[in-house]
Amino acid sequence: MLRVVNTVILIYLLAPIIVVVATAFGTSPYPVFPPVGLTLKWFDRFLSNPDLVRSTELSAALSFVSTLCATTIGTLAALALVRHRFRAKVVISALLLSPILFPTIVLGLALLVAFTRIGLAQTFAGLVAAHTVLITPFVIRLVMASLADLDGSIEEAARNLGSGRLRTFFLITLPIIRPGLLAGALFGFIISFDELVVTLFLAGPGLQTLPIRIFSSIEYSSDPTISAISSCLIATWIIFGVPVYMRFLAVQRA
Amino acid sequence: MVASRLLKEAPGTERGPHWLLLAPNLAWLLLFMVGPLSLLAVISFKTYEPGRGILNMWQLGNYAKFLTDPFYLGVLGSTLVTGACVTALTLLFGFPLAYTLAHTRGWRRSALYIGVLMPLLTSAVVRTFGWMILLGNNGFINRTLLQWAWIDHPLRLMYNLSGVVIALTEVLLPFMVLALDAALLNIDPSVVEAARNVGGSRMRVFFSITLPLAVPGIVSGSILVFSLSISAFVTPSLIGGAQVRLMPTVIYQQAMALLDWPFGAAIAFIMLVAIALLLIPALTLVERRSRLA
Repeated sequence: MLRVVNTVILIYLLAPIIVVVATAFGTSPYPVFPPVGLTLKWFDRFLSNPDLVRSTELSAALSFVSTLCATTIGTLAALALVRHRFRAKVVISALLLSPILFPTIVLGLALLVAFTRIGLAQTFAGLVAAHTVLITPFVIRLVMASLADLDGSIEEAARNLGSGRLRTFFLITLPIIRPGLLAGALFGFIISFDELVVTLFLAGPGLQTLPIRIFSSIEYSSDPTISAISSCLIATWIIFGVPVYMRFLAVQRA
Repeated sequence: MVASRLLKEAPGTERGPHWLLLAPNLAWLLLFMVGPLSLLAVISFKTYEPGRGILNMWQLGNYAKFLTDPFYLGVLGSTLVTGACVTALTLLFGFPLAYTLAHTRGWRRSALYIGVLMPLLTSAVVRTFGWMILLGNNGFINRTLLQWAWIDHPLRLMYNLSGVVIALTEVLLPFMVLALDAALLNIDPSVVEAARNVGGSRMRVFFSITLPLAVPGIVSGSILVFSLSISAFVTPSLIGGAQVRLMPTVIYQQAMALLDWPFGAAIAFIMLVAIALLLIPALTLVERRSRLA
């Protein structure tokens, strides 16, 4: 009984993904499910469309730079939160993690209002600033998780043996937090690449990221090229994301 | 809760506030989140006049307009109803899945887990696109039902609230499953075993032991799903189109199409207050429970 219920729920949960992937291979000029025929022409349409390729490159560059910023500031903050004792720690960690839960529609509007005044609206730098805000909490959480796995006595030992702060960080701390750091960076990259709401407020004509292209094209019409783009994204994220996610959960549960 | 566990002092903890480590992140948030939100709060008390822009005059008109106009009250109402429906449905669908997930080991758990993670790693736009293919008048669901002669004419599943609820429930279901799974894994299996040993039936043990112990997960999952569903923009605007008006789509329309930032800002703050009003009692409940435990 429970098995039947769960099967139905899983089908519901996976239905849109299955549909999107299946329609990417169908021959009809609009996405129909179940697909008719078999073709790869929609993938070719995606890769031979210069606008779409440019958007993919823009999204990749934006996510890369944002991830770099987020990993830097997030790792430093995580170190302070786990390894140092100070007042207001609870308040500060709540503030630093708050962008995870904060409604993006409100943040998007706030950034539009503020960035228009200081000339950051419709700029690449403005998008990096916004995306970094959104993904830093994920870096903090994952780095904190890997820091908490090991207590600070190893670092203390290194310091006692005369190693300087920077040397201790690069030789001891960094290898310890590397898995958390890489996982945080990966999830940050994925979230930034897929981000749509805040980007809609801040993107200008020359800054059409891939999610914006998908959004504006499906708003008024339906085209299997979008299924092909989506399938590429789904495949990439699952190949990279699932193993890291599983490994992290295993670490936390052990 | 994970954060509070992680914040516990570990050996080797250094004394003193290390503001140098925190400074870059705090400065970033101040510049690109706290500052802009404060400015948005200020803007929400100003007036916008088409052609003249934002007038430098303090007033409460934007809030009054939203909270007295029946049209906007309707928007507030349907937003809250959508949030409540989506939360209830994710609980209903999420519980059996999380229960099985928490009571399964080995490769079966991994397989089930991947099933829950795959949607989480796929963006909301892409999944909403999938729902548009399924729900349209000529979509898979309507064609199948017509073929089986269960219906005479296509059901309207797009451009109305029921379509939004169907798709949004699916989009947010993984969050609920993960929250419930974490809570169910925290239950000591020996408690359940003891109840079974003293003669409790499967049903009775579930309702008097497992379910009450899962309340923290139910509450935290519901808070998460509720606040995500009432502030969701992508799924309502694509599935609902121009016919369905929810707070996030109205904020976007006011700000981007009508350029009335002050009114959009006021709606945004009313939405934040609505979330906070529901968050605070729920969090107090969880806190009290965890203190008792």
